[in-house]
Amino acid sequence: MNILLVLVPISLFLLAVAIGAFIWAVRSGQFDDLDTPSIDILADGDHRPDTKPRADDD
Amino acid sequence: MSTDRCYHCGDPLPASPILATIDGKPRAMCCSGCASAAAWIGSAGLGDYYRLREGDSSRVEEAPPDLSSWDRDDVQAAHARHLDDGGREITVVVDGMHCAACAWLIDRALRREAGVEDVSANAVTGRVELRWREGATRLSRLLGRLYQLGYRPFLASGEQLETARRQERRRMLIRLGIAGLGAMQVMMFAEALYLDHANEMPVATRDFFRWIAVLVSTPVVFYSGWPFIAGLWREVSLRRLGMDTLVGGSILLAWAASLVQTLRGGEQVWFDASVMFVLFLLAARYLEQMARQRANAQVEALARARPALATREVEDGSRRQLPVGELQPGDRVFVAAGEPLPADGHLLGDARLDESLLTGESTPRLRGANDEVFAGSLCLDQPLRLTVTRCGQDTRLSHMVRLVEQAQSQRPPLAQWADRIASRFVAVVIVAAVLVFAAWTWIAGANHGFETALALLVVSCPCALSLAVPAALAATHSGLSRMGVLALSERALFAATRIDDLLMDKTGTLTEGQPRLLATQGFNGVSEADALRLAAALESGSTHPLARAFGEANVHACDLRITPGLGIEGRVDGRALRLGRADFAASGEDDGALWLGDGGQALARFEVGDRLRTDAAATVQALRSRGLSLAILSGDAETAVARVASALQIDDWQARQSPEDKLAAIRRHQAAGHRVGMLGDGLNDAPVLAAADLSIAMSDGAALAHRAADLIVLNGRLDRVPAALAQAGRMQRVVRQNLSWALAYNAIALPVAALGLITPGLAALGMALSSLGVTLNALRLATPPATPDTETTAAESAREITA
Repeated sequence: MNILLVLVPISLFLLAVAIGAFIWAVRSGQFDDLDTPSIDILADGDHRPDTKPRADDD
Repeated sequence: MSTDRCYHCGDPLPASPILATIDGKPRAMCCSGCASAAAWIGSAGLGDYYRLREGDSSRVEEAPPDLSSWDRDDVQAAHARHLDDGGREITVVVDGMHCAACAWLIDRALRREAGVEDVSANAVTGRVELRWREGATRLSRLLGRLYQLGYRPFLASGEQLETARRQERRRMLIRLGIAGLGAMQVMMFAEALYLDHANEMPVATRDFFRWIAVLVSTPVVFYSGWPFIAGLWREVSLRRLGMDTLVGGSILLAWAASLVQTLRGGEQVWFDASVMFVLFLLAARYLEQMARQRANAQVEALARARPALATREVEDGSRRQLPVGELQPGDRVFVAAGEPLPADGHLLGDARLDESLLTGESTPRLRGANDEVFAGSLCLDQPLRLTVTRCGQDTRLSHMVRLVEQAQSQRPPLAQWADRIASRFVAVVIVAAVLVFAAWTWIAGANHGFETALALLVVSCPCALSLAVPAALAATHSGLSRMGVLALSERALFAATRIDDLLMDKTGTLTEGQPRLLATQGFNGVSEADALRLAAALESGSTHPLARAFGEANVHACDLRITPGLGIEGRVDGRALRLGRADFAASGEDDGALWLGDGGQALARFEVGDRLRTDAAATVQALRSRGLSLAILSGDAETAVARVASALQIDDWQARQSPEDKLAAIRRHQAAGHRVGMLGDGLNDAPVLAAADLSIAMSDGAALAHRAADLIVLNGRLDRVPAALAQAGRMQRVVRQNLSWALAYNAIALPVAALGLITPGLAALGMALSSLGVTLNALRLATPPATPDTETTAAESAREITA
C-alpha cells in the first residue's frame, strides 16, 4: 500500500492545480458572460474585413 | 420578416424606402440611418448578424449627436479607469442590445476600430466594457460607431454596485468550484473507507485517508461553506431559528465530530456528509441567485435615463458642461431640446416636457416658470433652464428605481409561509435530534447515537421546503425576461392563472400606439410627393413621433416655430407654410387629420392613424383558447374601436371610456365574481391597472417606473401576454409539485432517520438530492417553451386593417 503515499499526494497536487486554474479562470472573467460566446463561435474567421488579406484563410 | 418592413429595424417602410445591398441582395430600409448601419455591417463582413439575431434591431438615428463631451478629461476621470499598460477602460450601458447577436456585433464592430484593445459586450446586463489605447483613438469615435449601429451608449451608473455584484458572483463561483473539486476528493477517500466493511484496512492507512480528508474538507467547510456558517452566526446572534442554523450547524457538527474521531481513532468519520452538504446547497443557491440577477439586470434600464453630462449656467450667462455627479442644489442648469433633465428642479421659463418616465403620461406636459420638474423627463421642442433642487440619489427617479428594486427583492407570501414552516420545522428537528441522540446512546452507545442524530439533522434539513418557492420564482423571472416580460410583483405570478376576464385597452396595446401616415391627399396642384417633402421639412425639427412618418427631409426649413396643440410653421423654399390642425394650417375645420397649408389655402391633407399590432389576431386567439373572455375598453372614438373589435372578432367592446369608466367596468366584472386582468399600455390608465387582479402593461423600458402594472411586456410583442400567462401557470404547477415533494420527503425521511436506518453520508445525499430535485424542477421554468411563430398568415392579413 506504499504506492498510496505517492499517488495520494499526486492527486492532491493535481487538485490544487485544478483549483488554481479554476480560480484564475473565474478571476479573469471567463465565466462572467455565458451567453454571448456561444454565438461567437458560430460565425468567425471566414468573414474578414477588406483591410485584411484573405490569403491566410483557406 | 415581411418585405414591407425595414430590413434593419423592422419599422414599417415609408413611401420611398432606401435600398441597400446586404450580402449581395437588395434590402429596403426605412431611413438613411438604418441603411448606413446595414451597409456598414454588410461591408465589414458582419452580415451574419442578421442571421444570428433573435429580433429586429433598434432604429438608427440619422444624425448621431455630438459625442465630443465623452472625450472630456473630467468625464473620463470620473468614469474611465486607467490601466497599468497605458490603456483606459470604460463601461457603458447601451440601449437596444437585445440578444447575444447584438453583443456579437458590438464586439466585432468595435474591435475593427484602430486603438481598441478589448471589448466585451454582455447582452444580459446590457453593458459594454471597452478598453482602448489613449492617443490611438478617441472615445467619442468608438461610441459614434455604436450610435451608427443603433446602440445608444449611456454612462453606466452604479459602477461600484456592478463591480461589487460581479465580485460577489465570482466569489460564489469560486466557492462552488472549490466545493465541487474538494467534495469529489473527500468522497473518494470516504468511499475507500466505506468499502472496508470487514475492517481489514490497516489502521495506518485508515488514518492516512482520514487526515487527507481533514486536509481537503477543511477549506470546503470553512471557505465554500462560509455563507452557511456566517448565516448560522447571524441567526444565533438574533436568537432566531432558520435554515442556516440547521445547515451551518450540521456542517460544523459533522466536520468537528469527524475531526474528533480522527484524533481519537474512532470508528467512523462523516467528512463526506459535511462536504456534500456544502456542495449541493451551494449549487442550489448559486442557481437561484443567477436567475434572480438575470431578472434584476433589466431594472437597471431605468438608470439609463440619467444623462452623463449637465450644462451649468453661471451668473454671466456662460455655460460649462460638467458631469451630472458634480451638480449641486441651487445650480442653474441648461437643457437642450430632446435631452433628459439631469436633476429635479424649478423651471425658469415655459417648457414642454415628456414626463412619461415618471408619471407614465405619454402626452407632453406644458410647464411654466417655477413649476417643479423631475430628472428623467425629456425636454421637448425648445431648450429650458432650471434651478436644481435635488440631484443624484435624491431625485424622484432614483427613488423610483429603488422602489422597483424593493418590489423585486421582497419575498412573496407563499415563500414567507414556507420560511415560517421551515423555521418551526428546524426547532422540531433539533428537539428530535436531541431525543434520538439520547435514545440511541442509551441503546447502542454514544457513537451510534451521534451518528443517528447527525443523520437525522442532515436528512431532514428543510432546504427543499425553503427552496421550493424562491427557486421556482427565480427561474420564472428568468424565463419571463427571456421572453421580454418583466414581473414587477411576484404576487402577480400567482394571480395570473386565476383570472378569467381580460379587459384590453386599444391604443398602444392592440394597436401600435404610434400615429402612422395612412393616406395623403394633395390639393391645388400639389403632388403627394411634394406634400410629403414639404411636411418632412417642417417636421424635421420636431421630436413628435409623427415626424418620422414623413420620411427624411431633403429640403431645409427655416424660422420653424411650434404652437403647442396646433402645429408647426416655418419657411420652406421661401414659402411660409403651416402644418397642423385644419384651423391652424388651412383655416378649415378641425377633422382630426393633419393639414398642410399656408394659413389660408390648403395644400395637402394627411390622414394619420394607428395600426393593429401584427400579432394581435394570433394573441386574441391564444388568449381565447386559454379560456379567457375578452373585452375592449378604449378611450378612443366609436368607429376606431369598432374597426379593431371587428377585425379581432371581439364582441364585447366599449368606446369613449374615461379612466373612471374603465375602473367602474373592472369593479362590475369583479362584483360579478370574475377575476379581472387588465391589459393596457401602462401609460394613462394607472388607477385602472392598479384595480385589476392582474395588470399587464405593454411598454418600453421607460415605463418601468410604473409600478401599477404587475407584468410589463418590454418588447411590444402582444403574443408574449398569453405566453407569460402560460408561464405563470407552469410556475404554479411547479411550486405545488415542489412543496408537496419537500413536505413528503421530510415526512418520510425524519422517522426513517430516527430509526437509525441511514448513515449521515446517505442522509446528505438524500437531503441534497431532494433540494437538487426541487431546484432542477424549478429550472425547467427558465427555458420558456417554444412560442409559436406569430407571423402567421392570419396575423399578416390582420395587419392590413388599420384602426
